[in-house]
Amino acid sequence: MFKWFGLVSYVPYTKVEGFADHLREGRIMGSCCQGCGAVTFPPRSDCSACLDEHFEFIEYSGRGTLHTYTRIEAAPTGFERLTPYVVGMVDLEEGGRAVAWIGETVQEEDIEIGMDLQLVPRMSEEEERIRVYYSLEIPGTRWVKTAGSA
Amino acid sequence: MARRVGVIGIGHGVFGRRSDATVQELAFEAFREAILDSGLQPGDVDASVIGAVPEYHKQRSLAGVVQEYLGLLPRPTWLTEAACASGSAAIRSGWLAIRAGVHDVVAVIGCQKMTELGTAEILALMGRVGEVQWESGFGTTFPAYYAMFARRHMHEFGTTTDQLAAVAVKNHHYGALNPYALFRKEITVEKARLSDRVATPFHVYDCCANADGAACVILASEERAREHSASPVWLSGMGCATASMSVLRRASLVGLPSAVAAAAEAYDMAGVGAGDIDVAEVHDCFTIAEIMAYEDLGFCPKGKGGPFAAEGRTYIGGDVPVNVDGGLKAKGHPIGATGVSMTYEIVKQLRGAAEDRQVPDADIGLTHNVGGIGQYCFVQILSRD
Amino acid sequence: MELNLEGRVALVTGGRRGIGAAIALALAREGCDVAIADQRLDAEAAEVVRAIEETGRRAHAVEVDVRSFPSAEACVTEVIGVLGRLDILVCNAGVNRDAVIWRMSETQWDDVIAVNLKGYFSFNRAAARIFKDQRSGKIVNIASINGLRGKHGQTNYSASKGGEIALSKALARELGKFNANVNVVAPGMVMTEMARALAPEFLEQAVDESVLGRLASPEDCANVVVFLCSDRARHITGEVIKVDGGQYI
Repeated sequence: MFKWFGLVSYVPYTKVEGFADHLREGRIMGSCCQGCGAVTFPPRSDCSACLDEHFEFIEYSGRGTLHTYTRIEAAPTGFERLTPYVVGMVDLEEGGRAVAWIGETVQEEDIEIGMDLQLVPRMSEEEERIRVYYSLEIPGTRWVKTAGSA
Repeated sequence: MARRVGVIGIGHGVFGRRSDATVQELAFEAFREAILDSGLQPGDVDASVIGAVPEYHKQRSLAGVVQEYLGLLPRPTWLTEAACASGSAAIRSGWLAIRAGVHDVVAVIGCQKMTELGTAEILALMGRVGEVQWESGFGTTFPAYYAMFARRHMHEFGTTTDQLAAVAVKNHHYGALNPYALFRKEITVEKARLSDRVATPFHVYDCCANADGAACVILASEERAREHSASPVWLSGMGCATASMSVLRRASLVGLPSAVAAAAEAYDMAGVGAGDIDVAEVHDCFTIAEIMAYEDLGFCPKGKGGPFAAEGRTYIGGDVPVNVDGGLKAKGHPIGATGVSMTYEIVKQLRGAAEDRQVPDADIGLTHNVGGIGQYCFVQILSRD
Repeated sequence: MELNLEGRVALVTGGRRGIGAAIALALAREGCDVAIADQRLDAEAAEVVRAIEETGRRAHAVEVDVRSFPSAEACVTEVIGVLGRLDILVCNAGVNRDAVIWRMSETQWDDVIAVNLKGYFSFNRAAARIFKDQRSGKIVNIASINGLRGKHGQTNYSASKGGEIALSKALARELGKFNANVNVVAPGMVMTEMARALAPEFLEQAVDESVLGRLASPEDCANVVVFLCSDRARHITGEVIKVDGGQYI
């Protein structure tokens, strides 16, 4: 369910809802327009180029390079107990960009624009609710992919 | 030939934590000053446009409420919203109506209360500035986006945090001279460096503050403007452009493509270039925003905005005085009112009425008002014949 | 019923005799490699290992003091080292030290809590970390109907068994989204060597309580454990299944 995505979710319903289900199973998905083949990340259902409304999910490797970042000290509602945390933006190898937390495998003093990073699917361990997200880790970090449970 | 539109009345209220007034009462302060300044009666106003961001108010549907309190029923009114550029969007709306020949006199009121909500509600809104679906789940905030722009600007051009602080120092210097500003004290680079961190590399002094406030301009058709003054101030160049509202889809983060496009349109319409601008108001929601504005507007070469600020080139007496009313930094940023406040200041400068903040021989002025993280930009060029 | 347990690796504490041995053997017969952990690796333990290997599966025995937190952690690590992975944990090691409360010593209380409750905590914790990271796993904690009801002379035992049940439910909540199930089997009186050593009136009392008029065999318990460990029970978690012939309804 898309409302699982992110530590706080403001978007319960979307045509690309499956993104969160795939992320829960360890797969990072972009979208591929069935009309013109355009590939987008984050995924979107409707193609603004050819107006086709049909898309397919397509798996991304999660590899990217760091475009910019910031350490947030003043948090928005829902994130108060996490500060400070570092948010990074990466250019993904297959195109598109992602915003995510810089994870525990990356030392803050080593963060440098242009460094290679790996988006790794994560599930929140500290609370009962299902929260799925991804974090930016050092390249080569591994994670478990599971088969669809539904 | 499209009708020219002049600004014949200006009004401004005190920006700050206005626990003494509702949003319509704030609007009245600014409107009253503007209508008196124009020499018109409220009955001469054909329509009003209200610029405000509704989600900060408990009162729903602000335009009607404000319109009524100003005594302008049953004339037309509507709300325009373009995030922090709502005020400029309202001015554009009035400009369009007059140019189209539908109205002759339009009152534009930018008004905003931001302190009606509790801290938690405001902080929640702060987390919803970017693309809520893909970014807010990670706790991004408005300052965080501009902080990421700053990091990138520092990476690509060597801009320093002291250069960022220089912008804040300048704007607080002029804010101290502006009776309508929220912050009336000067600061030093040292003080800026030592203030609390918000989102690296930003400290508190790199960020504008929320505020309550209102400003008003009375727009008029050419005929009506000439009745008001021998030398009216014209809206001679009006540019407006948009860009992706998500940092995930901006080709480059070291400038605002919407600002570049809007400026080009405005310069072209006014028949002037960057070098002709005598005084400017730019959208310094964060210090880096002002530095990028210098570059986007063509005041200095790309990447040189930092030194441009640090060398004092945007003080009165410098290459182009910018934000000599304190900018968003010192005035505070009641988001719906800011665009109108900027216009107020430029009109005042062009009239020679800015007293101890007067830019000598100010003939051509510019306002640059950005919505959100650059998804909207409105650039206005004002001049006299 | 096809249980799809082929190739899974299980650890059974208290597996050298009684219910534990029956569980270990039942899992082996369904295709699991099984490790047993117990305080003493004696002839009985060796016999269980032999019986497992006779089914064609791998077996391993670990000597462990379940009261020791690090010992439990080390046991799980050893099992994974020898058998390659862990998919199933069955906690079964338990003791009782009955006495009416006014004659119960502090030691009688501490021993039962340490072996039964803390012991289950220690093993559950070690396994939970593995199961969370690998996004799969089954835990079955063997409790007792005396954890659901109070039993005269068992303020310590009932407390520990009730605690095991609550622990299992809380853990089910924590592990659920990681695709790991945690359940409880709560036997009534089971006919084991330990039971045979009791005074006959206790056994008779249990038979009278049971609406089926008999006592459970260790295999009656093992059957339910095996089912809970299988994919057929994938949607059961946080559950308590009594195997008591209706002693406590």
